[in-house]
Amino acid sequence: MSVQRVDPRPDASSVAGSPAAVSEQALGQDVREARRRRLRRARRRFLAIRIVSLLVVFAAWQLYGMHTIAILFAPITTVVHQGYLLFVNNGLGNELGYSMWTFAVGYAIGVSVGIVLGMLMGAYRWAEAAVSMYVFALYATPMVALVPIISLWIGFDATAQIVIIALFVTWPMTVTVFHGVRQIDAELMEVSRSLRLNRRQTWVHVLLPGAVPYVITGATQGVAMGLVGVIIAELQTQLSGLGSALQTQSQTYHTAAALAVVLLIMVLGVSLRAILGLVHRRLVPWLRIDRGDGREG
Amino acid sequence: MLTVLERGQTGVGELMAMEGAARAVEAPPLAGRAGGGRSDISCRGVYKWYGDSAVIANLDLSVAHNEFVCVVGPSGCGKTTLLRMLAGLAEHDSGSITIGGVPVTGPLPSVAVVFQHFGLFPWKTVFNNVALPMRAAGVAKDEARRRAEEAIALVGLRDSNDKYPAQLSGGMKQRVGLARALAMQPEVVLLDEPFAAVDAQTREILQEELLGLWSRYKQTALFITHSIDEAITLADRVVVMGTRPGRVIDDIVVPIERPRSVASVRRHESYAPLRERIWERLRTTAQPK
Ligand SMILES: Nc1ncnc2c1ncn2[C@@H]1O[C@H](COP(=O)(O)OP(=O)(O)O)[C@@H](O)[C@H]1O
Ligand SMILES: [Mg+2]
Repeated sequence: MSVQRVDPRPDASSVAGSPAAVSEQALGQDVREARRRRLRRARRRFLAIRIVSLLVVFAAWQLYGMHTIAILFAPITTVVHQGYLLFVNNGLGNELGYSMWTFAVGYAIGVSVGIVLGMLMGAYRWAEAAVSMYVFALYATPMVALVPIISLWIGFDATAQIVIIALFVTWPMTVTVFHGVRQIDAELMEVSRSLRLNRRQTWVHVLLPGAVPYVITGATQGVAMGLVGVIIAELQTQLSGLGSALQTQSQTYHTAAALAVVLLIMVLGVSLRAILGLVHRRLVPWLRIDRGDGREG
Repeated sequence: MLTVLERGQTGVGELMAMEGAARAVEAPPLAGRAGGGRSDISCRGVYKWYGDSAVIANLDLSVAHNEFVCVVGPSGCGKTTLLRMLAGLAEHDSGSITIGGVPVTGPLPSVAVVFQHFGLFPWKTVFNNVALPMRAAGVAKDEARRRAEEAIALVGLRDSNDKYPAQLSGGMKQRVGLARALAMQPEVVLLDEPFAAVDAQTREILQEELLGLWSRYKQTALFITHSIDEAITLADRVVVMGTRPGRVIDDIVVPIERPRSVASVRRHESYAPLRERIWERLRTTAQPK
């Protein structure tokens, strides 16, 4: 866009020798109003592109689905309808509830363990020395490989599933938080020492808030990992939840219904991510600063 | 601390513990500002090595109570290292460093630092950045609020209390840095090229403001800069540092009366000769690499 960039910084326009900071008001209401308008316009454009994209993809899906064999694919209208029928007739709601429950517990455990481990590893070299090799080894291992072993140890019930989900979430979370704490500006650590913050104050005012963006990044990655964990756990241990619905429908060649379950899982993932996005904006207001170019961040 | 991190042996957690150790041998409280002569800075035969090379060698420097001293020197001569040692953020390898007669073994409560890159916490508003050290030191909430608001008003940021650092220009950020130091009511202020990161015009405005602030509060101040003009404008005395290793190579009293302004200093008859002399000293110390 060819919007003229107006520098909102007072210093940029101040004249040598003029007294104290030229105040924001001096710039006038119109500059700020222009910025706001530019931001609104950029947002609308973003939303419009998104809607167009969705329409194109759904239209393609619909067209392709209408001209292919029902066993292989189905138009989106059929898929949505089948999804509705699954809820009404086959108790998909219960399956969804079960999956969400195990996900919630496993995810909470994974995120908590990840925060604690990552923070300790980031802040204390002894903790890094003691555990980082295991963390990185597990991070690099596909967790699917551990599923049979876990079934062997714990069994096939909800507990085993929760452990599997937690394992999927924990390692990326730990690694992200670890890197987050590690990168907290060395200069800021020096400032905290100079301001004579004690250990507790340094955690509260510096380390924890500094790590928040990374915790949220890790938690967002964790949603995707956790959902993978849910489906794998449900397919590989006792068949249950959404995994069971998916398995049943696809093995009986109810492709449209199976696609409906997949679509549901996708919607779930997107919604959880969106919720975390809101949490992010809430918890990290200092990064949500209007840069005047329509982006935030 | 940077060193320790770079050597990769200590995490921030351990560093906090080390700080606690430093605090265990805490200095007795310094006498009040009216006491006179109690917040002077003194360095005697100070050495600092990084690896095999001496960054600072046999450095002697003193700043009298309520004196404003500028240290000028080419970049890399060890100015920041010197300031970090005075601030209790880095250890010296030999010699003695005292502030108000107390050996510096860690950050002292009577000393405030203004950092080159502002050192503001991005997740705290202007007000909370300024109030943090007071709250950390256990100053009562009302008192801390009053002092923070007063300091913020003094640097002309009354309208920006609730802004985050990312919303401020460089000049405004350093005003917050100054306000934070002021609100701590220190007896000694250490400033490390505080205006180096802002544009030339803002820099002069900030110098002007600092002259005003200092004439009101008159703490002992050590101001590091590599600008000769800035040094002459602000200081009672200019200390010139030589490079490789860092040491004092000249010490010049600025005979320009206060109150001053940036313009009045430039017009002063001793301005040009002073500038010439410092420039000459710096030119001859800068050895080709
Ligand atoms: N933590 C460190 N480890 C090793 N060398 C350092 C460290 N800090 C500074 N130095 C070196 O010490 C010298 C002086 O640095 P510094 O005090 O930052 O100079 P100035 O502030 O005068 O520009 C430089 O040569 C720099 O490379
Ligand atoms: Mg420096």
